[in-house]
Amino acid sequence: MSSYFFYLFAAILIFASLAVIWARNPLYNVLALVVAIFSLSCLFVLLEAFFVGMVLLLVYAGAVLVFFLFVVMCLNLNAITLNSVQQIRFRWWGCVLGLTFAFTFLYAAKSFILAQTMDPSTLRGTIETIGKILFTEYLLPFELTSLLLLIAIFGIVSLAQGALSTGKDDEGP
Amino acid sequence: MILLGNYLILSGIVFSIGLVGVMTSRNVLRVLLSLELLLAASNLSFVAFSKYNGDYAGQLIVFFVILVAAAEVAIGLAIIVVMYRRLSTIQADELKEMKW
Repeated sequence: MSSYFFYLFAAILIFASLAVIWARNPLYNVLALVVAIFSLSCLFVLLEAFFVGMVLLLVYAGAVLVFFLFVVMCLNLNAITLNSVQQIRFRWWGCVLGLTFAFTFLYAAKSFILAQTMDPSTLRGTIETIGKILFTEYLLPFELTSLLLLIAIFGIVSLAQGALSTGKDDEGP
Repeated sequence: MILLGNYLILSGIVFSIGLVGVMTSRNVLRVLLSLELLLAASNLSFVAFSKYNGDYAGQLIVFFVILVAAAEVAIGLAIIVVMYRRLSTIQADELKEMKW
């Protein structure tokens, strides 16, 4: 039963990620990423990593992507026209590189899959088990992330202030 | 029965799609979204390895990756907004000089 769910959410994840990179409208890109993150969270739940799945849903789909939506709506991106010639050239190179990576990866994964017969463990990533490890063994990295977020806030505030004070004054040559 | 390899192949496919997105898009916003796809793909393989090896460390790494990615997105979007205010575009080609 859970294998059907795996294939369902895997298909949704792949199609949503394709929509992220191919859709024309930036708004659709962001909404496709919301769908991709949602199906990824469902895959985490299938892997019994409940806490990480919920954090992904709350932080990514809840906060980060709404932030993306705000920026897309603020910027009025529909006025942007693309430089078509260079766009197409880079698209070819990017597709060649991506396909090369995909085939290399699948070739490597094929031998790996044939070699391993690992069974899933009975590990359940609930809040209790994750929290116990997080606040004992991984306490120092956890506290350091608060410092990282503080630095991020400083960076954003200084960027926004710089943009406000020297807005479009010195755009000349 | 879903094996570890199924998750790894799915993660590789999503990572390749994100890589194509980073390489081909001119739009800085779309580059950031594709970077999110790359992070999501690696998160998936971390959680799959965590489940199949019986170790919680993979899930904790994913937790930290989510935190760092949130900070990265916030800074990146702030830079995009500043860029749009100064250059009136968010095409990556327009960033031709290092001097602000």
